[in-house]
Amino acid sequence: MWMWFAKLGSPRWFYEISTKWLPWLASAMCILMIVGIVWALLFLPPDYQQSFTTRILVIHVAVAGTSLAFFPLMAVAGTITLVWKMKLADMVAKHAAPLGAWFSFVTLATGSLWGSVMWGTWWEWTDARLVSMLFQFFLLLSVVALRSAIEDPDKSAKACALLSIVGCINVVIIKYSVEWWNVLHQPSSPLSTSNGSANGPEFWMATGVMILAVYLFFIVSLTLATRNEILQRERRSQWVQEIVRTS
Amino acid sequence: MDQVTTIEAFTATLKRDLLVAYKRKNDIFNPFMFFLIVCSLFPIGISPDPARLGEIASGVLWISALLASLLAMDSLYRNDFEDGSLEQLLLSPHPLYFLVLAKNMAHWLVSGLPVVIVSPLVAYMLSLPDDAYWVMFLTLLLGTPILSLLGSIGVALTVGLGSRGLILAVITLPMSVPVLIAGTLTVQEALNGASLSGYMAVLGAMFFGSLTLAPLASATALRISVT
Repeated sequence: MWMWFAKLGSPRWFYEISTKWLPWLASAMCILMIVGIVWALLFLPPDYQQSFTTRILVIHVAVAGTSLAFFPLMAVAGTITLVWKMKLADMVAKHAAPLGAWFSFVTLATGSLWGSVMWGTWWEWTDARLVSMLFQFFLLLSVVALRSAIEDPDKSAKACALLSIVGCINVVIIKYSVEWWNVLHQPSSPLSTSNGSANGPEFWMATGVMILAVYLFFIVSLTLATRNEILQRERRSQWVQEIVRTS
Repeated sequence: MDQVTTIEAFTATLKRDLLVAYKRKNDIFNPFMFFLIVCSLFPIGISPDPARLGEIASGVLWISALLASLLAMDSLYRNDFEDGSLEQLLLSPHPLYFLVLAKNMAHWLVSGLPVVIVSPLVAYMLSLPDDAYWVMFLTLLLGTPILSLLGSIGVALTVGLGSRGLILAVITLPMSVPVLIAGTLTVQEALNGASLSGYMAVLGAMFFGSLTLAPLASATALRISVT
């Protein structure tokens, strides 16, 4: 078990194994992405209440679900960085933060597109999900900002690891406190009840395909970014120079 | 050589920090002034109408206290970092947790407590309804230490950096959201005449949670930043 763990920490091993896996993952992602997007945006029948706006939701739900995975991922990677000082964990965490910020941004953007049609407003403070996603977006950006502010790579790795752990705990607290705030601050809004219930099996199947596709997109893009980071940080090692020479 | 107990080290750090603050009185005076000035900008910027001011007063007081605490944060470790005494603190055999706690406590006594004490006066100027004075005062009394403890993590992470100001705000402000929510909600509910024990319990839980966990994170952050 510990051999496996030590292997996983080696950037070289990760680079080689990901070279084998990447074509499969990437092609699966492309197929699912095309199927999902074409299905969702062109063929999904209109909902009897929401007409064609559910098509936005298919993408929105998939991206939103994936965006929630970033802070836990970064917190786990951060713990590994701080405890076992594994280089690979930090390389993953470094690229997870900006990617997570993008996912949160796309979630907010698709959500307000949908909201502008269905709720008649682009932004609504009475919806707890919007507000907590906004603050998750800010927290992810603060990790990115800290990363670029500290020049020493070792120091910035550890500092960002700690901030990710604190941020992960904080996102949960913010989520619950924003919900609490919403319940108590305003009378319950008529807005948030209108989605979800009326969607048929087709909607959920398209959404399922889209969720898989977006998760694969997240894995593939994170792996690609991590591979670049490995090449950059290990540029002095022999195996990287060999790869560069042969390519 | 006599052994120094951890409690002695804690009080020594606390005393030293209070003494240093006393000698450079600006550190006490500036956050306090900042709080007063920001609070007095709101009536000018929004409306002098007492009814409208009374509605937003609790939010204004809380956000101003949050910003004052943020601006005061920078002085928490910076001078000690620059003159090297922070490294001595890290080298001491005592748990860093208690030393960090002592520094946070001294810092709050100097920069947070004056703000809390003056808050009823400002609340009067912003025409907060009378019933809410005590609640306002109590929430700030419980809340500003949480802000200091959370801010301390951000300062500890950025202590060695050249340009700290903005990055500190970017890190700390989103983390303060739950405290802001709990604080302002409590005051709002006091105005509505609701029972407050639950709200105070949430604030108290946040206080004790950050009292136990935040200094741990600050201590780890200091060990990362100061090498």
